[in-house]
Amino acid sequence: MTAIPETSAAGAVPAPGSARGRRALGAGLLLAVGLLALAGPWLIDADPLRQDLRAALRGPGGGHPLGTDHLGRDMLARLAHAARLSLGLGAATVLTAAVPGVLLGLAAAWRGGAVDRALGALCASVMALPGLLLVLVLAGFAPGAFWPLYVGLALASWVEYFRVVRAVAASRLARPDVEAARLLGFGPAHVVRRHLLPDLVGPLATLMAFGLAATVVAVSSLSFVGIGLRPPTPEWGNMMTELLPYHAEAPLQLLMPGTLLFATVLGLALVCGREPS
Amino acid sequence: MGGLTRALGGRLVQAALVALLVGIACFAMVEFLPGDQAYRIAAGRYGEDLVSTAAADAVRLELGLDRPWWERLGAWLAALARLDLGVSLVTGERVAHEIGHQLGHTLLLSLAALALSVLLGPPLGVLAAARAGTAWDLAGMSAAAALRALPAFAVGVALTWIFAVRLGLLPAAGAEGPAAAVLPALTLALGLAAASSRVTRDVALSVMRSPWVAFARTKGLGEAAVVRRHALRNAAAPVTAYLGIQLAWLVEGVVVVESVFVWPGIGHALVHAVVARDVPMIQGTALVLGLLFVLLNALVDLLCILIDPRAGERRR
Amino acid sequence: MTAAVEVSGLRVASAARVLVRPCSLELRAGEILVVLGETGSGKSLLAQAIMGTLPPELACAGRIVLGGEEVGHLPPAARRRLWGRRIALLPQEPWSALNPTMAAGGQVAEVHALLHGRPWAEARRRAASALAALGLGRAVGRHPFRLSGGMAQRVAIAATAATGAPVLLADEPTKGLDAGLRDEVAALLAAEAAGGAAVMVITHDVGLARRLGGRVAVMLDGEVVETGPAGEVIAAPRHAYTRLLLAADPETWAPAGAPAGARAAGATVLSARGLAKALGGRTLFSGLDLEVGAGGIVAVAGPSGCGKTTLGNVLLGLLAPDAGTVSRRPGTAAHRYQKIYQDPVAAFAPQATLRAALGDVVARHGLSWDAAARLLSAMRVPDGLLDRRPAQVSGGELQRVALARALLVDPVFLFADEATSRLDPLTQKQVMDLLNETVAERRLAVLMVTHDPALARGMASRTVRLEMPSPRDALYFGPGPGDSG
Repeated sequence: MTAIPETSAAGAVPAPGSARGRRALGAGLLLAVGLLALAGPWLIDADPLRQDLRAALRGPGGGHPLGTDHLGRDMLARLAHAARLSLGLGAATVLTAAVPGVLLGLAAAWRGGAVDRALGALCASVMALPGLLLVLVLAGFAPGAFWPLYVGLALASWVEYFRVVRAVAASRLARPDVEAARLLGFGPAHVVRRHLLPDLVGPLATLMAFGLAATVVAVSSLSFVGIGLRPPTPEWGNMMTELLPYHAEAPLQLLMPGTLLFATVLGLALVCGREPS
Repeated sequence: MGGLTRALGGRLVQAALVALLVGIACFAMVEFLPGDQAYRIAAGRYGEDLVSTAAADAVRLELGLDRPWWERLGAWLAALARLDLGVSLVTGERVAHEIGHQLGHTLLLSLAALALSVLLGPPLGVLAAARAGTAWDLAGMSAAAALRALPAFAVGVALTWIFAVRLGLLPAAGAEGPAAAVLPALTLALGLAAASSRVTRDVALSVMRSPWVAFARTKGLGEAAVVRRHALRNAAAPVTAYLGIQLAWLVEGVVVVESVFVWPGIGHALVHAVVARDVPMIQGTALVLGLLFVLLNALVDLLCILIDPRAGERRR
Repeated sequence: MTAAVEVSGLRVASAARVLVRPCSLELRAGEILVVLGETGSGKSLLAQAIMGTLPPELACAGRIVLGGEEVGHLPPAARRRLWGRRIALLPQEPWSALNPTMAAGGQVAEVHALLHGRPWAEARRRAASALAALGLGRAVGRHPFRLSGGMAQRVAIAATAATGAPVLLADEPTKGLDAGLRDEVAALLAAEAAGGAAVMVITHDVGLARRLGGRVAVMLDGEVVETGPAGEVIAAPRHAYTRLLLAADPETWAPAGAPAGARAAGATVLSARGLAKALGGRTLFSGLDLEVGAGGIVAVAGPSGCGKTTLGNVLLGLLAPDAGTVSRRPGTAAHRYQKIYQDPVAAFAPQATLRAALGDVVARHGLSWDAAARLLSAMRVPDGLLDRRPAQVSGGELQRVALARALLVDPVFLFADEATSRLDPLTQKQVMDLLNETVAERRLAVLMVTHDPALARGMASRTVRLEMPSPRDALYFGPGPGDSG
C-alpha cells in the first residue's frame, strides 16, 4: 500500500509517449469508474445482495447487463456498489491522512527545532513497519470490520503527507523569496499563501492520487485473503475470491472486478504522470 | 566509517521500534478481546468443556491478570524483550517453534523474488534507455506501468490461470518442490521489476547525459570505458537506494502472495492468525516480518554506502 | 608552421535562425585566443562546433582544420576519436563535471592509463605528481564532494592537461569562481600555452582576457565583431560594442572613494560594534566594527565562503551575532532595511506574476500603484514585463524589478548581496549605475557584498575585506561554487 516513488533525484527525464495522451487516457478511465461508483448504485435498481440460485453464473444479457455471480446476484449492481465502497473508503482515508499530515508537516518545517525532532521521531516509529503490516495487526482487533482498515490505512499513510510537506516547506522556507517577504513586512499568512501553497499543490495532488490507489489496492488485497471486508458485502477483492472457484464456467465474471481495480489504479497513475518522490 | 555506524545504528533503533509497536498493539488486542481473558486462556488450556470459574481464577492469579494494565504491559514487553513469544492459541504450539518452520519458506520466497526482480528490472530499464524515445521504449514502459497498476493478488491469479490451469506447467499452490516457488516468486518479482525498470531507465538516461560523462568522453575515453568507469556506479547508486524503498512493497507483497499461493510462510501464518485472532501468533509473525524488513533495509544501506561514498556522508 | 586550429566560414544555425554567422579564426601552438562575449552571443556554440559537441538539431557549415587536417565534415564517431588526442575540452563548472563517485586521482590517472595506454601504476603516479604540482597533493584520494570549487577546477585542469592534446578549449573556465581563483585559473591556462598548447578560452569576463593576454575575438549576436592582440583591443577598441564591454569592466572604473566629499556619507544609518560570528565551528569574523552612513556605499569583499553574506545577514538582523551589537538609526521601521539577492529569480515567489508580487507590497504598506509605476519606469522596467513570472524574465531585468520592489518601502538601508555576480558585464554595469543613482538621489545607505575587488573599488567609498577563516584547501563540505559565503 505504500506509494512507491519512481522518480530519481537525478533530474527530470521525459517519459516516452505524449504526456497529453497519457493524461487523457487516465482521466477517461477514472471518469468511467467514478461514474459507476457515483451514479451506478442509484441508476441500477437490482439489489446487489439479492440471491437467485436458479439464475447463477448467467452470462451478460437479459435482466443482468453483466450477468450474475455464483449465487445469482446481479454483477453490475455488485460492481457498482463495490466501486462506491472502494473509492469512498479510499477518499475518506486519504482525507483523514492528508489533513493532519499536511498540518503537522507545516508545523515541523515552520517551527523546526524540538517540534521538528519530535514529529520526525513519531513519523519514524510509524514508518518502522511496512504500512500493510500495521493494517494487518490492527485488523486483528476486528477482522472483517470496516474500521481497522480505515484507521490502519490512515495511520500508516499520514506520514507520507507529513514527510513530503515537511521537506517541501522546509526547503521553500529557506529560500530567499521567503526571507525577502519577511523583510518587506509580510506575515506568516502571506508567506504560506504566496510562497508555500503554490509549491505544495502539485506534490500533494500526486500524493493523494497515489494514496487513493494504494488504499484501493490494499483494501482489495486484504479482502481477497479474507481479512478485509467480507462477503456478502460486495468488494472487488472478495468478489474475486468468491468467483475464483468458477473460473472455468464464468471467466468473464472473475475478470470484471479485477478490470475495474486495474482501471482505477492505472487511471490514477496516468493522471499523475509520476509517482511522488 | 562514521556513515556506516550511523546507518546501522538507525536500523537498530528501527528494530526496537518495530518490537515496541507490534508488542503494544498486540497487548491492546488482548485487552480488547471480548469476554474474560482468564476464562479464555483457561478454556484454551483445559478445553472448552472442562473450564470452570475456579480454573479461570487460578489462571488470573498465575498470570497476574488482576494487576493494573501498565504493569501487565511492562511484563508483556519484558517477555517480548526476552524473545518469549508465547504459545499459539490455536495449535497450542510455541510460537517461536512455528515461526522457525515458516521462516525458511518466507526467506526463500522473498530472496528469490528480489533476485528475479534485479535480473529482470534494471536490464530492461537499460534497454529502454538505450532505445529512449522509440516504440520499444514506449512499449516497455507502458507494460511496466500496466504491471504496476495490477495488485499482486491479481497478478498471482492471472499467472496461476495461465501456467497452472491452462498450460499445466507449474503447481498452483503449496510448497512441494522447487517448481512450486516459481509462480509466487514471479508474482512478486514482476511488480518489483516493473517499478525498478522505470527507475533504471530514467537514471540511466540522466547519468548518460550528465556533465561528468560528457567530460569523460572529451577526455578521450572510449564509450565502453565511459560506461564502465563513469556511468555504472553512478546509475547503480539511485537504483539501489530505490530497492530500499521497494522493500516495504516486498514485505507487504509477501503477505498477500503467500496467502494466494498457500505458501507455508510467515505471511500466510499472519493472515491465518488475524482471522483466528490468535494474538501470540499475530505478534510473533508481525514481529518477524517487521524485523526481516529492517534487516533487508540494513543490507541495502550497506550496499548504498559501498556504491556511493556520498551516501555515508549524507546520512544524519 | 601550420595553425593548430584554423576555422573559416564557420556557421551554426538552428532550424529557425542563424546562431553563429560565418566567421574565421586561426590559432597556433603556444598561442592563446580569448573569445569574449555575453550570454547568447554564440561563443559557446563556436567552441562546441570546433570540438564537435553541437546538439544534433543544430547545423554546422564551414571548414574546421585541426593540425592541418580538415575535420568539420567528419561523422560524429570520427570527431570523437580526436577528443583527448588532437583537442581537449576543459568543461564549464568542474564541480559538476567530475564523476561524484570517483576519487580525484582516478579521474586524472585514467587519462594516462586508458588514453595513453600506460600501466595503471605509472598512470596513478603521474596523476599524483600532477595534482601535487597544483597544490592538491592531499586531494588525490578525495571524492569531488569533498573538494572546494577551486580545487575541483584544478583537478579538471589536471585531467584535461593529462591528455596532452595540442589544442585546449576552455568553456567559461571561471564561471562561479571568485577573483582570486580566477587569477589562479588564468595562470594555469597561460602555463598550458607556455608548454606549447594552443589554448582557446570562451568567456564573458574581460578581466580574464586581460590576464591571459594573447589574442581576443569579441562576439556579438553570433558575429565576431573585432579581433586582435589582447593588449591592442583592450587599449584601443575599434568596435562600439567592445568599448561598451570594456567600460562595463569594473577594473576600468574610477575608484569611488576618489572624489572625496562628493559622496561623503551622511548621518549613520546602521552601525556595528565588536561583531563576531562563527558558523559550523569556524570563526568567520570577530571584533568587527562597521558604520554605514546615509548616501554611502560600504563594500564587503573576500573569497567565496569567507562569511560576507553572513555579515550582511547579521547586520540586517536575519542572524544573531555571537558577540557585539548592531544599532539602527532610531525611529526607522523594521521594513526600511532591505536586501537585494544574488539570484533574482529566487527572490520572488515563483508562481506569482511580478505585477502580483509588487501589488502585494503596495497593498501591505498602503501605497498606491502609481508609486510602483514611477519606480519601475525609473528602473527602466517595461510594463509588459510585469505579467510574466520571475523565471520568464532575464536576470538583469528581474534584478531591476527587485530593486524597485525594495525601494517601494522607502528603505534607509540596502544590503546588496552579490547582486550582479550572475549577470553579464553590460547588465552588471546597468544595475550598478542604477544603484549609484538611487543612492545619490535617496541618500540610501548601502552595504554591498562582492567577491570582485575591482567592483568593490569602483562602487564603494570603503571596503571591508574578510579573509578565509581557515586554509583554503581545508576539508570542504559546503555547497558548490557560485554560492556566496
